[in-house]
Amino acid sequence: MVMDYERILRDVAKLMVRLKKPSRLLKMTTRFIDKNFQLNHTSIVIWDEARSRYAFADSKGRQKIPSGFVKFDREHPLISWFSKTRRFVKMPKDYLLRSDLETQIEKGLKTNSDSMRALQIVLKAMQVLKAHAVIPAYYKSDLLGMLILGAKKDGYGFEAREISFFQTLVQDCSMALKNAEYHQSLIDRNSQLESQLREIESLRTREQKRYYEIIRSLAQQVYAKDPYTFGHIGQVERLGVITGRELGLDMAGRYKDILSAGLLLHDVGKIGIPDHILNKPARLDPDEWNIMKTHVDKGAQILEPLTDFKEVREIVYSHHERWDGTGYPRGLKGESIPVGARIVCVVDAFHAIVSTRCYSKGRPIETAFEELRRCAGSQFDPTVVEAFITALTKEMKRRGTGFFYDGEIKHTA
Amino acid sequence: MVKKLLVVDDEEEICDFLKSFFEDRQFEVETAHSGIQAIEKARKFGPHVILLDIQMPEMDGLKALKILKEENPKVKVIMVTAVETQEKIEESMRLGADNYITKPLSLEYLENDVQEKLKGLV
Repeated sequence: MVMDYERILRDVAKLMVRLKKPSRLLKMTTRFIDKNFQLNHTSIVIWDEARSRYAFADSKGRQKIPSGFVKFDREHPLISWFSKTRRFVKMPKDYLLRSDLETQIEKGLKTNSDSMRALQIVLKAMQVLKAHAVIPAYYKSDLLGMLILGAKKDGYGFEAREISFFQTLVQDCSMALKNAEYHQSLIDRNSQLESQLREIESLRTREQKRYYEIIRSLAQQVYAKDPYTFGHIGQVERLGVITGRELGLDMAGRYKDILSAGLLLHDVGKIGIPDHILNKPARLDPDEWNIMKTHVDKGAQILEPLTDFKEVREIVYSHHERWDGTGYPRGLKGESIPVGARIVCVVDAFHAIVSTRCYSKGRPIETAFEELRRCAGSQFDPTVVEAFITALTKEMKRRGTGFFYDGEIKHTA
Repeated sequence: MVKKLLVVDDEEEICDFLKSFFEDRQFEVETAHSGIQAIEKARKFGPHVILLDIQMPEMDGLKALKILKEENPKVKVIMVTAVETQEKIEESMRLGADNYITKPLSLEYLENDVQEKLKGLV
């Protein structure tokens, strides 16, 4: 038979790469050999990790071995022939021909040594399977399986180039098999990781929701100290969130919770400021002002133990920084100030302008907008100021001014 | 004297394979594909050993085993089946089965066992 082995191998290799299911790959291989070589049977034995045994994966031809009918354990003569070191006999380890075995046995028949008996056992195993050639499939040093070939129908022996063709085919097959296995294990591992990730994610979400509830009630407590702002903290939060959305921040994900917590908690440190300073109806003197400024440090300290709230803490700690770098406590400048803190800064200022506080009467929204724009670039991030004004204007158009003041603050709009 | 073996399995491939396998070992082999066929063949053929599957149409291997042993208590019956439950094994033994081998099997073990059962018979 004239065959272009090179071309066939290339074609087969190409096909193998595309097959992701090992069982199909093996069936394709047996079918291919059965079609192109006139053999009594073509069988593949493969290691079954789950049941720790070798079994027939597929078999074709007149003398085929029924699938699922025969198994080999590790002690099977053919398995040990290929997986154990053999010192006693000089025969190739990368294939086994019945004719070679018979020649060896004939030559050494008189010796009747242990090695001869071993050869006879292997020969018998081949006879049992009607095998005339066996090609082992290794991966690293493990015996993955074997290609077992029956006799040629024309009665001739296997040629060297045929054996080398089968060896290459078996090698390609083992590689493809390992690839498919690896591919499958990656898929399995991936889906396992994904489900673990989803679990962690949902735990985190639940945990954070709970944190968030605690924070909200904590914030209410803090603002309860200041009768003028009590009840308005929810509005500060809403104003901040719509500003964040206007800026294009991801308000559907985790950042919304971070920003919300920052907005709710920005003045949490005021819990540590004496009431007489906090509620002083006149201007603070320099000493009192220095004490007042420490509320950002105290706020950061309060949040320190909450490892999940690092970003929130940053917002709280930085909400008195100024765009031009003259703020406190660190004198951060421009975009080195967390965006959340820049939002809190604008919203807080706006709120102070329009609210009636112990030291000032509430002023109209337009005045507040003017004031914010005047300080954009020095105190405030200009982008945040514009986003805030745009967002609030949109909201007021949609819902009226009641959206953020619930009519509590008297002012002319 | 000729060693006679009856192979009973509803899968034709398995019957053909075992027939060829044991014929190579100088057995005379007959095959049957159901319990009823097995009983008929056993009467005519008079096997020394029967390889008997359990799950088969018409009459399953356990019912066939009971009748086969009733009709010829000397016949050796080796159950060869994919079914491996404690219940089936015990039932087989109670009905007089001489061994119970599960598929996939080791051909070497099967051959040894059949030869073993023949001792003193042939």
